[in-house]
Amino acid sequence: MSLVGVMVLALIMGFIINRGVGLLTWDLLIGDYHPTTYNLSLPTTESLGGFARPNDLDESAFFSQMWGLGLMDDVDFEGKAVVRVIYVDAQSPLQMMRDKNNLERVVGLFPGLALEKVIFSDLTIGLSRTKAENFIILFDTHEGINDLLAVSSGNGIRGAIITTGLLIGFALMIALPIGIFSAVYLHEFAPKNNAFIHTMRKMIDTLSGVPSIVYGLMGAAVFIPFTSRISKAEGGNLFSGALTLAVMVLPIIISATIDALRAVPDDYRKASLALGANHTQTTFRIVIKSAVPGIMSAVLLSVGRMIGESAALIYAVGTAIKDHIILTEKSASLAVFIWSVMAGEVPNFELACSVAIIIMAVVLFINVLIKLVARRFTLLP
Amino acid sequence: MNTFDVRELVLTYDGKAALQHVSMNIIPKQVTALIGPSGCGKSSLLRCLNRMNDLIDGCNVEGEILFHGENIYAKNYNVYELRTKVGMVFQKPSPFPMSIFDNVAYGPRCQGINDKKTLENIVKKALVDAALYDEVKERLKESAMALSGGQQQRLSIARTIAMQPEVILMDEPTSALDPIATGKIEELIFDLKKHYTIVIVTHNMQQAARISDYTAFFLMGNLVEFNTTEQIFRQPTQAKTEEYITGRFG
Repeated sequence: MSLVGVMVLALIMGFIINRGVGLLTWDLLIGDYHPTTYNLSLPTTESLGGFARPNDLDESAFFSQMWGLGLMDDVDFEGKAVVRVIYVDAQSPLQMMRDKNNLERVVGLFPGLALEKVIFSDLTIGLSRTKAENFIILFDTHEGINDLLAVSSGNGIRGAIITTGLLIGFALMIALPIGIFSAVYLHEFAPKNNAFIHTMRKMIDTLSGVPSIVYGLMGAAVFIPFTSRISKAEGGNLFSGALTLAVMVLPIIISATIDALRAVPDDYRKASLALGANHTQTTFRIVIKSAVPGIMSAVLLSVGRMIGESAALIYAVGTAIKDHIILTEKSASLAVFIWSVMAGEVPNFELACSVAIIIMAVVLFINVLIKLVARRFTLLP
Repeated sequence: MNTFDVRELVLTYDGKAALQHVSMNIIPKQVTALIGPSGCGKSSLLRCLNRMNDLIDGCNVEGEILFHGENIYAKNYNVYELRTKVGMVFQKPSPFPMSIFDNVAYGPRCQGINDKKTLENIVKKALVDAALYDEVKERLKESAMALSGGQQQRLSIARTIAMQPEVILMDEPTSALDPIATGKIEELIFDLKKHYTIVIVTHNMQQAARISDYTAFFLMGNLVEFNTTEQIFRQPTQAKTEEYITGRFG
């Protein structure tokens, strides 16, 4: 039976990796999700002609010797045909193109953009979405460009990465102090054999099993109104998301920290007290210090849980994919990003799989790290 | 004046008596050994002397223990101050997971001593007095966990000496050590006697005979006999004592 399980798992992983690995590039990690339209013009033209086709330019690409420009037929993520800029010579006048809306600003054509439309100075008809070859013929026969529309490819996940990082950072800032101090109180200071304390610990253990969508609802019901009141946020925002995540991982942090404190040998406590140290000194200078590796595991465990979290965040932070993150506005974390790109009119399966690979890689890395931390410090069971 | 006067001490764990009406005294700058078979209450008495029994759930103490004439079980008695004067070395060496230096400096730091120079002097003196300095002077910043068992136990003693206590309580300090390490600890106890009052619990009768000046023999929670070590081992007055030290039971 377990073999069947492993095979099914391997099949799913293989499928996701197969579909998603093609998009995994550095540009994916740092790029914008939404395409940017560049409206450029070239008021003055110098040094035309005489550019040589670079040797490493793709065979199927077309090259304009007059402009030092390489173009290629390509498709965008929705499968539509586009003409992609793949090379611009360093000396090309296209490097000196300016923003049409602000002629002071030099933008310059750069590889990666898809050409939408070019209006040459002596050709009154603009060309829209034709083949790369036709573009090159026109480039080679015209000497001035009035207007050029190009679109960046988009589809990057930088916004989602930043959102996830900020959410985890804020959530840890809230949950770590509360969680660690709760655990220290419950394990080191609270009266033993006390019915209330006992019930409380049972409840904390139970909370770690609550489905995350329930935390998401709580975020929507409690934290969105709360953050809307204290900031200018309207609806879901990063603060309400961080608070929701903090509440979600709090039981994990408390339980794991209690386990770490329990693993600290009683001999340390006795030895410290026998040296005249009081209970507080013993707890903070010896016990917590010895439990740090265990507490680090608790942190890593909760980061792993948060990075893959989607249900709790759909309400609390929203599902809108953003490139420029504003703390008081809606945004999508990595896991929610997958949901969002699949929920659109044209589901982007490849991109979803790429993000899934990234999440799985990070979770795997964290799990290995937990094992290493535990092995490095033998205090953990 | 005695360092400790134990008067009519009754100790119970969850109502079960572990010590019954024990009265004895501890004489300053002498080594007092507490001997007896397992479960006779000797370790319980030792833990009473710096109130480490407070940490055990269900432990209850009646009677009094006078430390320089003051009852340490009186209400409002400062237990933490008592433990700075009455140090304790445990059976199992338990260095803290930190450097050798920090281990020894831990006690003084808890008392608010933070001056680097002062701490260095205290640590060095304690390590010298515990006959450990020459072995570790090159690696004071390294983890104490890397020391051998015997070294760890001498570190525990150094940690206690660093508090400059009057009394050092030792709970079977050599039972986890090999004969060579045991020999070193015994020599050390002999040297420490000049400056400290020592109370030691031991299973090892030869050890008690070798290092102690006074010996108390316990059986089933009762103090059977308390006298100079010489008397106890040469001419015990109680038949039970003789049977125990000659190895007929125990």
